[in-house]
Amino acid sequence: MKKMKNCVVTKRELLDLIDRKIGEGKEVIAPAKQENQANFKRIKSTREILWEGPQTVIPPKAFLFPQEEELMEYEVNDEIKVKVKVEGKPIILLGIHPCDMNGTTLLDKVFAENNLDEHYLKKREFVTIIGAECLVPCSTESFCYRKESVLPLEGFDLFLTDMGKNFFVEVGSKKGKSLISKIARKTTPSDAKKLRKIRRVRDNLFDKEQRKLKPKLEDLPKLLRENYDSPVWDEHGSRCFNCGSCNMVCPTCYCFDVRDYMELNLKRGNRTRFWDGCLLTDFTKVASGEIFREGRGARLRHRTNRKDWYLFEKWERSFCTGCGRCGKACLTKIVDPLDIENELYDRWKR
Amino acid sequence: MTIYKPEIAKINRIEKLTKTESLLDIELLSGKSLGHQPGQFVEVSVFGVGEAPISISSAPSDLATFQLCVRAIGNVTSALCGKKPGDKIGIRGPFGKGFELKHFKGKDILFVAGGLGLAPLRSLIWSVLNSRKDYGKVYILYGAKIPQELLFKEELKNWKEREDVEYHVTVDVGDEKWQDNVGVITTLFPYIQFDPAKTQAVIVGPPIMYRFVIRELKNHGTPDKKIWVSLERKMKCGVGKCGHCQINDIYVCQDGPVFNYEKLKNLPEAI
Repeated sequence: MKKMKNCVVTKRELLDLIDRKIGEGKEVIAPAKQENQANFKRIKSTREILWEGPQTVIPPKAFLFPQEEELMEYEVNDEIKVKVKVEGKPIILLGIHPCDMNGTTLLDKVFAENNLDEHYLKKREFVTIIGAECLVPCSTESFCYRKESVLPLEGFDLFLTDMGKNFFVEVGSKKGKSLISKIARKTTPSDAKKLRKIRRVRDNLFDKEQRKLKPKLEDLPKLLRENYDSPVWDEHGSRCFNCGSCNMVCPTCYCFDVRDYMELNLKRGNRTRFWDGCLLTDFTKVASGEIFREGRGARLRHRTNRKDWYLFEKWERSFCTGCGRCGKACLTKIVDPLDIENELYDRWKR
Repeated sequence: MTIYKPEIAKINRIEKLTKTESLLDIELLSGKSLGHQPGQFVEVSVFGVGEAPISISSAPSDLATFQLCVRAIGNVTSALCGKKPGDKIGIRGPFGKGFELKHFKGKDILFVAGGLGLAPLRSLIWSVLNSRKDYGKVYILYGAKIPQELLFKEELKNWKEREDVEYHVTVDVGDEKWQDNVGVITTLFPYIQFDPAKTQAVIVGPPIMYRFVIRELKNHGTPDKKIWVSLERKMKCGVGKCGHCQINDIYVCQDGPVFNYEKLKNLPEAI
């Protein structure tokens, strides 16, 4: 990504700008209260935004790769007519944290690899991402600092850091630049200095508060490769309920199932994809009844290996951004990658 | 056009091979040839029911149509077997890596098929038999549970009669008319004398069969890189996205379904 000039905006001006956009009918999605939890949803005013948590239950991937997404609709008469649905609408995703921005960047890679997934890419094209830096940990489960994910890699249009009265703004795209061109002012050396200080304080705080990852980050693929047959997998797996919650809440899980639906007249129908999860029993089950990844430990291992070995090696980046959602969602507290990796590390016969 | 949009195709002919398996002759409405490699697969749509991955059963030599041998076992396959000539379906593909003939040219070839495994293997068998002089000796070992489940009975007769093919067949349980071998597929190995150094062995069958046939081949001294298999997996997308077919770090729909055993033996989830 081409580096663009950073700038500073006053919070008031930026929020007023967003509120004006909302008033003009722009769809702005941000973390806000839903029931008694936080979730990304369409907001009516920037006052609804929960800037400092709690963490949303579902990551913002749901707006790029929806839980349920119609791929095509068709009409079956003498001829069969298939109409593919590749659609995007302009939305602003606001207040996205670095773990989720990095998750999105990784999804951008996998959906654009080889066979382009236009359903995802079209939605992505229309989305403006305005991220927000985390200055306090959002939960006791998160470990983003250990996964080098407290800052976004790329994949944002604007990235805001709270500096009191102002936001320090990293500009990631022309789209982002033009959005704030009227209210942006140049950064001064004292802004840069202040930002460095904020980040230093943040790093110290996160380092103190977040659980430690015992192996080195770059050693995770090796750790997982050499502990493929560790008893840890079945010990954790034997307590797995196969609920798939860890997959659903993960910002980088992108496996999907596809189903057909027919209207009652049997003439019109659609093909829809849904989130699927490798921890679910039927994930590898074929029509004959054969399940190719049997055993809960094996399924847990597959998920962990995918994040921190298979995809890590392929893309040279961990596919776990340390958001901590899976650990929080897990009913029996067995899925947290950091816990598993620490346990493997402790018991590793080196 | 996206990677998930099927092309419309027409079923020209349906032949019931057994109680559960049918052979479908299919033609793309665009008039284009499928252009597949033996061992590749297509995603077949029955609109309103769903999509399923099915390996192509015919050799690529027929340019106008291709054949799928379908076992009516799930929603899509049952719907497919219930279709009539003239009915339309959707096709995506061909997908995956098939058998590259360059690895087989000039070599002796040992085909080992179990049950429905003959369906994908048939695309390679006929590719070889159609240019028979380009290959060395050809052995075909075929096993089914019971005589009624044998597929392509006319072709089996042809292989049995041909002088340039050594064909042996077995069933797990015979009946009063059955005169050939009874027993699992590995009980056919004593009938043949193949030269492991010159032979490429190709195995397609149910998951349990691979372990025993590979052990048999290894006992005969066949090197790993001369063993080829085709693997079945759940697949939804066929293009390396949906995640279902993954074996450790590889996607069967992209890197397979045909694999050389030299590569496969390092993937603990494979067999």
